[in-house]
Amino acid sequence: MAAAVRGPKFFSTTKKGENFELKADLNSEYREKRKETVKKVIANMTIGKDVSSLFADVVKNMQTEDLELKKLVYLYLINYARTQPELVILAVNTFVKDTDDVNPLIRALAIRTMGMLRVEKIIDYLLEPLKKGLKDEDPYVRKTAALCVAKLYDLSPMIAIDNGLITIVQDMLSDRNPMVIANAVAALAEISEASVRRDVFVVNRSILTKLLAALNECTEWGQICILNSLASYRPHDTREAGDIAERVLPRLQHANASVVLSAVRVLMIYLEFITNDELLKQITRKMAPPLVTLLSSEPEIQYVALRNINLILQKRADVLNQEIRVFFIKYNDPPYVKLEKLEVIIKLCSDKNVDQVLSELREYANEVDVDFVRKSVGAIGRCAVKIESASEKCVNALLDLIKTKVSHVVQEAIVVIKDIFRKYPNRYEGIIPALCENLDTLDEPEAKASLIWIVGEYADRIDNATELLEFFLEGFKDETSMVQLQLISASVKLFLKKPGAAQEIVQRILTTATQGCDNPDIRDRAYIYWRLLSSNPQTAKAVVLAEKPPIEADTATVSESLLDELLHNIGSLASVYHKSPSLLGGTSVEIGRTREVLDLEGEEPEVDARTVAAQVNAVVGGGIDNLLDLDFGGPSAGSPAVATPPPMRTQTSAIDDLLGLTDLSPSTSTPTYQPGGFEPMVGATSTTPKVSFLTSANAKGLDVQGAFTRRNGDLYLELSFANRTSGPMTEFAIQFNTNTYGITPAASLQVPEPLAPNQSADVLLRLSTSGGVQKMDPPNLIQIALKNNLGIYYFNAFIAEDIVGNHR
Amino acid sequence: MISSLFILDTSGKVIIEKHWRHVIGRAVDDFLKISQASSSPYEVPPVVACEELYLHHVYRSGLVFLAVTEEEVSPLSVLHFLHRTVDLLVDYFGPVTELIIKENFVIVYELLEELLDYGFPYITEPNILKDVVPPPSLLSTVMNAVSLGTNFGTKQPSGSLSSVPWRSTGIKYTNNEIFFDIVETVDAILDRNNNIITAEAHGEVLCNTRLSGMPDLILTFMNHRVLEDNMTSFHPCVRYHRFEKDRVLSFVPPDGQFKLMDYNVNMSSPQTLPLLVKPSIHFSKTTGKLDISVQPRSTGGKIVENAALSITLPKAVASVKLNANVGQCTFDQMTKELRWTIGKISTDFNVSGVPLLTGNLYMESGAVPIQMARTVYIDFKINMYTASGLRIDTLQVHHEPYKPFKGVRTVTRAGRYQIRI
Repeated sequence: MAAAVRGPKFFSTTKKGENFELKADLNSEYREKRKETVKKVIANMTIGKDVSSLFADVVKNMQTEDLELKKLVYLYLINYARTQPELVILAVNTFVKDTDDVNPLIRALAIRTMGMLRVEKIIDYLLEPLKKGLKDEDPYVRKTAALCVAKLYDLSPMIAIDNGLITIVQDMLSDRNPMVIANAVAALAEISEASVRRDVFVVNRSILTKLLAALNECTEWGQICILNSLASYRPHDTREAGDIAERVLPRLQHANASVVLSAVRVLMIYLEFITNDELLKQITRKMAPPLVTLLSSEPEIQYVALRNINLILQKRADVLNQEIRVFFIKYNDPPYVKLEKLEVIIKLCSDKNVDQVLSELREYANEVDVDFVRKSVGAIGRCAVKIESASEKCVNALLDLIKTKVSHVVQEAIVVIKDIFRKYPNRYEGIIPALCENLDTLDEPEAKASLIWIVGEYADRIDNATELLEFFLEGFKDETSMVQLQLISASVKLFLKKPGAAQEIVQRILTTATQGCDNPDIRDRAYIYWRLLSSNPQTAKAVVLAEKPPIEADTATVSESLLDELLHNIGSLASVYHKSPSLLGGTSVEIGRTREVLDLEGEEPEVDARTVAAQVNAVVGGGIDNLLDLDFGGPSAGSPAVATPPPMRTQTSAIDDLLGLTDLSPSTSTPTYQPGGFEPMVGATSTTPKVSFLTSANAKGLDVQGAFTRRNGDLYLELSFANRTSGPMTEFAIQFNTNTYGITPAASLQVPEPLAPNQSADVLLRLSTSGGVQKMDPPNLIQIALKNNLGIYYFNAFIAEDIVGNHR
Repeated sequence: MISSLFILDTSGKVIIEKHWRHVIGRAVDDFLKISQASSSPYEVPPVVACEELYLHHVYRSGLVFLAVTEEEVSPLSVLHFLHRTVDLLVDYFGPVTELIIKENFVIVYELLEELLDYGFPYITEPNILKDVVPPPSLLSTVMNAVSLGTNFGTKQPSGSLSSVPWRSTGIKYTNNEIFFDIVETVDAILDRNNNIITAEAHGEVLCNTRLSGMPDLILTFMNHRVLEDNMTSFHPCVRYHRFEKDRVLSFVPPDGQFKLMDYNVNMSSPQTLPLLVKPSIHFSKTTGKLDISVQPRSTGGKIVENAALSITLPKAVASVKLNANVGQCTFDQMTKELRWTIGKISTDFNVSGVPLLTGNLYMESGAVPIQMARTVYIDFKINMYTASGLRIDTLQVHHEPYKPFKGVRTVTRAGRYQIRI
């Protein structure tokens, strides 16, 4: 019955003269008929039919008692305002009249709709009603008007400021109705975001009191706005922080997941100000259950929650250490939830629960989704690397999985076992025969490369190592470069460990690689080895068999400073992407340009035998992704830009300097510089021409140039500041992001203050290498933040390797 | 906040779109480009960045609800908003389909207009919205069908907005009624010896109120101790400080259907789980033996209904010969899934005995039987029983003179209930 009765068909087939019919109906004497017709008009409009000829007839229906009909007409107007603004002005008088209606719903609707029209001409008509609306006796009208100020500001900031509208909204923070306060907060936050000075909305102590009072009473969306504004307030002492935290705590029990996470954000920030251990513990304990509860929401909500939990755990691992079970994966979880849960499980895995975790992970390895199965197998290896006492259990679990003979499981297991070997050398070589049994089933480059690496590393303890390598050698030319590079390295290792037996194989492979290979990476490495082996086998041993730095558990996904930044932004987009908020629509930075300039500087060759060894063996960073020389252009390298042309040049030049065999270096990679020209000068000043870091166009009138230099063995940053504004500049400060070399300012920035208009100043900033270390891409990238009274600017600088070089 | 919202069908065609700031057309193309990598919109991460746009989406009943933002926002509030929007559409029209949206196109459009103002959530409470945008009533659709049009049945908004944001003023019923549904879903993973790996009951208290005026309710529970450990979240109407102090729910309810609270309860003892399942599978060279029994354990004396059990056998199993004393058993040759539909399990075993499935498995010749971990998934439903033991005790009505009719239903269901053997 119900199915048989359907609404009017708005999408019935078009007949000729439809608009004509509609026009007649719009002028019908029956209101219901007119209403239905307006609906038809809107339906037509939204599917792209031109109904503008009906404008006058539709607008005629605007003056009506029927609120629904009125709103339909408004809808029509909002749509047409974009394409035909001049027509909309015709309707403006009715709007203005409506803002005086006795019914507050109609007053609010009129103000709201006028703000939506987004036509500059309407501003003149909007101003008076809007001012009146902001002072309306009905809170519903006031709250609507508050947001309308934000709309107006977007259209014309000057008009909004000049007419004192923003001041009125600021005063509304003291309104007696919590919903009005919430909307005023929303409007001010929006305006502040769009404004240059961002000082439209600053939470001080008296505003704070009002916000906290409103927090309990307003709608969930208002609560989110207020909580987010609390995050910008800095409490004066531990007691104030504790008081605010107490007021925020009940929000953790809200049904709206976003309220919960916004409250967690505020708590995470305020926890840093609380020194009372008892209170700290109490608050931390109360944060866990709500986070767990978020995981029984819809999968999309779970995803965002999990990304944030991942961050929280990196800072406060104790929050959820009892709750690992809730992160166990359900077979019907969407893939993106599964992968995030897996990350959290690894973070929470400890020697206490590792048995439970392993049994889960083994279970996941039976699932259908290949990508997820691989990640699960990989997770077993990561647990082994993380928890030493459990490594044996993990290895056994992996061996069990290898026995299943399921191809992708076996291959992934071999890849992670290689990591375990790297972490715990000489402990599990007993399992090598079991791995080698699967030789012929391997068809993925990474798995092959991993097994070859293991064979090379343990060549002296594998009786049939030669045979094993020969097995791969047959198809050498068809392998990917990743496997080829490993084969070359492994056979050299084999030769150095068992010279007699492997001479033939190493010669064969080097000949094949140098003569039959078009890939310069492969050929160059073969050349290096060849030269090394023929000129000085002892050096070759020192280089090829050098001890490798052990790998670390990769549980931290972001650097410490970024983590702190993200924890201040829990629940934001930045926290989902694990990227700095400044990169996501924050103050934008001219990154690309400075980078270009500095790239031209080029990188200086390194004349350090150990660096060459590191390059050759490619064990530089020690990140799991990067163990297998993947930075030499391996197809699955995680970060493609790790090091492309510069290392190539470095490598060839290293040959030059180390072995003096310039004439043998392949002609395809001709060095473009004079090898002798860049000797590091200890005790002398090595300078680089200054490059532009900030220009007045993008840094609010501040011009900054700079260069890294070394004077008497100390590292300095030379900076030239120029003030291109008409006012003085003060409050200069500088900060470095963690970088590859741990470079950080050794003293504070001393700019002569105030820097008067059109004045310039040169400043020398002493640097030290005692700061936090984080591998950058490229390694010589240093991200710098500079602040003055007008704002904060971010830029990228690149330090030449020779300047850092002798400091390491 | 939210700049634009689109509703897409599974193939990515736009059914309806609405822009609050300016028209962003390319968002849909961007979304489709991203989702091409996945086999279904279900697999696309809910928040993706694409150049300057941030695309948030939820996937429900075969439709994609896509919201676009251009600046830093709280993605959870956008996703939560989208879910609430879908809930609202369901409330208005029943199950949401492409056809339903097209037939109620203008109402959906009007709703979107009310839900957001300049991208900020404006009115999201169904009770208030129904005043502003009347849902299609049977009468009005009948009248529309005969193209008469009517205003019967839809009331004009009074213009006075309530001080309680989730409840409108002037609600009147001739019969005052209130119904509670406690729905608990048990998630449990057990090992082969029936030891708990993880077990948890997720509960919801759903409410359907048909009460006049502005009643102020106090709901008390028996066994409220199960709610001790903060694993609760409440509808905004619940006064949290009252709950924290006395463990009672004090609230002015919204009108109609809503979810009053959510809670999670850890179940630490195997004795408290509703079913005891003893599965065993053994393989030899060419055959295997399977033996599964199911019996109720802790069900408060209630009958277990809709019981079913499924297990995926190794690929090497070619055929099965099984015998179940209760219910029916099927084996899918393609997926190797064995499904045993048991139906009702009475607590009185004298009638039919303990449900038991026994039989032999036959391997494909030449295949190597591998002893691998297997998982048995179990499904069931028990009416008038809560696994956590939570029960409603009393309901008091204040500020209104009437005594409403009260009804309570409870049900416990299996969620992810599995045994690893």
